[in-house]
Amino acid sequence: MQSRPRFGLYLLVGLSVVISFFPIVWLILTSVKTTGGIYAWPPQYIPNPFTLENYRKILFDSPELLLYVWNSFVVALGTTALCLGFGGLAGYALSRLRIRHAGVIMVAILAVSMFPPVSLLPSLFQNFLNFGLLNTYTGLILAHTGLFLPFTVWMLASYFATLPAEIEEAAKMDGMGTLRIFLSIVIPLSWPGFVATGLIVFIFSWNEFPLALVLMTQDAMRTAPVGISLYPGEYAFPWETISTATVIAIVPILVITAIFQKQIIGGLTAGSGK
Amino acid sequence: MANALDRRRQAVGLGFVTPTVLVILAILVYPVLQSFVLSVGNSEIDGSGGYRFVGLQHYAELMQTSRFWNSLKVTLIFTAFSIPLELMLGIGLAVLMNEHFHGKGLARLAVLFPWALPTALNTLMWRWMYNTDYGLFNAVALQTGLAEQPINWLGDQTLAMASMVTVSVWKTSSFMALIILAGLQSIPRELYEAGRMDGMTRWQEFRQITLPLLTGPILVALIIRSMDALRAFELPFNLTDGGPVSATESLSLYAYKVIFDFIDFNLGSAIVVIQFLVIFAMSLIYIFTLRKKD
Repeated sequence: MQSRPRFGLYLLVGLSVVISFFPIVWLILTSVKTTGGIYAWPPQYIPNPFTLENYRKILFDSPELLLYVWNSFVVALGTTALCLGFGGLAGYALSRLRIRHAGVIMVAILAVSMFPPVSLLPSLFQNFLNFGLLNTYTGLILAHTGLFLPFTVWMLASYFATLPAEIEEAAKMDGMGTLRIFLSIVIPLSWPGFVATGLIVFIFSWNEFPLALVLMTQDAMRTAPVGISLYPGEYAFPWETISTATVIAIVPILVITAIFQKQIIGGLTAGSGK
Repeated sequence: MANALDRRRQAVGLGFVTPTVLVILAILVYPVLQSFVLSVGNSEIDGSGGYRFVGLQHYAELMQTSRFWNSLKVTLIFTAFSIPLELMLGIGLAVLMNEHFHGKGLARLAVLFPWALPTALNTLMWRWMYNTDYGLFNAVALQTGLAEQPINWLGDQTLAMASMVTVSVWKTSSFMALIILAGLQSIPRELYEAGRMDGMTRWQEFRQITLPLLTGPILVALIIRSMDALRAFELPFNLTDGGPVSATESLSLYAYKVIFDFIDFNLGSAIVVIQFLVIFAMSLIYIFTLRKKD
């Protein structure tokens, strides 16, 4: 393989990188232009003048855009915590405690994970309206937890299945209860599985759109993807604001993905291999 | 004694599973069942007042609504064009990422980004680049002389669909690539060495060794992505709002508009039930294929 020409390989790799990156780069370039620069002809490929005015304006004049990002944080963190808590317990019981019908339950969980989110909308909206859960963090966190629990259970169950059984058996001999074994032995041993799953669930929740759109109807409660998408413009989309807000809203995801790319890729490919 | 222990373990196990089962029942199972009920009746938005069973009336109405058939057609065309393109690019990318080269970490990250970002915001980025007067694409096309006039990327019915497919392919080819790459890495090196001894060309290696061993991962990637494409919502919502003239109005978007713009929960429920059945049929194929593989 060493003797084969390398030039073509690097050309193709370069091309893939450029194609993947250029919309994001163009977005960032747009966000550091003046309004005149954004609507200039000929178009400015290099911002001239370069300005951080759009960021300043968002920080000081349109705090609602930061509020959207904050809402996304709260919802994604809450969802991740609930998913890992509930899903960890369930995944452990289903993969290690040999409970009856574990196989059937796993397949049922996989099956319900394929429900299209839009098919949940009419009913969830009605019920959340009646229970006072519209426009609450609790409501959307609960909805996202339901949406992403099946994935969590499958991921964690397959991770627990790789742990050696001897350790649990020894602990059982020592008279430890199941819950204590889970908390003090299984969780510390499987934290890489929890990290990978948690990161992916966080990204899923941060990115989720239809439920966040319908269950958060007040502007102040909207998550970043929804709030930015519905950001009102008087005549047209105010692209200088939209591009800047989008950059702010995707930075957390870019950072998480960059730092944890190995874990995320490992988790994704393991999850879909089932 | 063993029996008591076993019963205890069963009880603890059930306790562990209960929170998950309750949340899934409340958020996924019950709403889908309620959608079925809503779709065969008439009721108030908040569920107050009387529910009147009307049978298949809403379904019959849909069968005579051209906008419904249009949204079904749009969804199927979108799926049929984006999935094969994503698959081809995904296989290509996976083969590429399986090579040894410098800067592989960066390349893999670049490929992962489009998948990791929110579809809604990805779509906004592209909508900005498609902008007729100030967008990147028309700027490049006009300056290089590829186009004489600004191209109305999202204003023409065919072009709008092509633009939407492009965004989807850009975003999700990487997901296909990752799953296929995992499959590639599990192919034993010796197979290729044996192939080389037989004097196989690169293409023959790919056709006769790689591709047959990738059937499993490719199938999984295809089915996950098809289900995603069949329920596409924020992509048309943010790119075109279904336009021009419903040319990109997917089933999900149509259902959303019927429910929340026309405030018709019952007719909307009938749409989501039909969509559910289409996707459910696919899920069954998924599960049965996997069963067979095991």
